[in-house]
Amino acid sequence: MENLLNEKESLELIGQMISTAKNNLQKGTGKIFLLWGYLVAGISFGTVVLSMILPKETAYHAYLLWFLMFLGMPVHFWLLKKREHERLVMTYIEKLMRWVWIGFTISILVVVVGMLLDTVILSYFVSDAKGDNFVYWFQWLLLTPIMLCLYGFALFVSGKAYGFKPLVIGGIVCFIGSFLLLFSIHKTGVVYFQQLVLCVSAVAGFVIPGHMLNRKERKDV
Amino acid sequence: MFKDLDPLLHSQLRLGVMSILISAVEADFVFIREKTNSTAGNLSVQIDKLRDAGYISVEKSFKGKMPRTTCRITPEGVTAFEKYVEDLNSYLQKK
Repeated sequence: MENLLNEKESLELIGQMISTAKNNLQKGTGKIFLLWGYLVAGISFGTVVLSMILPKETAYHAYLLWFLMFLGMPVHFWLLKKREHERLVMTYIEKLMRWVWIGFTISILVVVVGMLLDTVILSYFVSDAKGDNFVYWFQWLLLTPIMLCLYGFALFVSGKAYGFKPLVIGGIVCFIGSFLLLFSIHKTGVVYFQQLVLCVSAVAGFVIPGHMLNRKERKDV
Repeated sequence: MFKDLDPLLHSQLRLGVMSILISAVEADFVFIREKTNSTAGNLSVQIDKLRDAGYISVEKSFKGKMPRTTCRITPEGVTAFEKYVEDLNSYLQKK
């Protein structure tokens, strides 16, 4: 069946069809945001609460809660697989953003694994590295601001690429959080402050945009 | 009137398919069918014509147990599409 067009109709059709695949948010992206958002917010808040409950000498054990982040990985891959299964179109923006988030994940792993290795080396091979040694724990104070800066970067770029304002705002909140933490790194009790800022940033950067993405996805896809 | 325009692209459905594929890395047959508001049979025929001309590549696979057809534009397709838009513009300028 051949429907021939006049020149005006041709241009209209091209514009119309091009816009169908533009800024297409893949169904299922919101759920991935919610998984990590709730996990980070919950763990950071839980760390503060547990630190307060535990005796002062063992309060640092509360940070072991962060190992729960590994639980997110199988769920993440299951959600990712489901999302790819439902994918009907891949836009150039999505392809680019996929690499941005892979780069983000690699950056996080480099920082965390690097710091963990350094801690292990300090603990086992440096004789004066005790719990009260400044060098021993100072690097961990940098972890949260670095993480927040990376969150901010990935969220800000995603928000601008998809034209989705809540992600841009979430990214800016993470940038401000990172700046605040770097600025206050020398203050007493900064570890609790860091966890609370992380909690607020996870809600602003992942939980709120995640719920809004879910609503937008239902309308767009 | 349109003797300079590529006849393969100067049809509503084929131009629709090419316009979708030029803005995406790849698109599923179902997505194209929904967006172009076409029937599976007609779309299938037009996709075959575009593939035979070398404008698009078609990959058949399985998504779970369901067959899946994925279409991508080829470099020849991009060139043809760009030329079509160029010809259309020069026609409009002459008019």
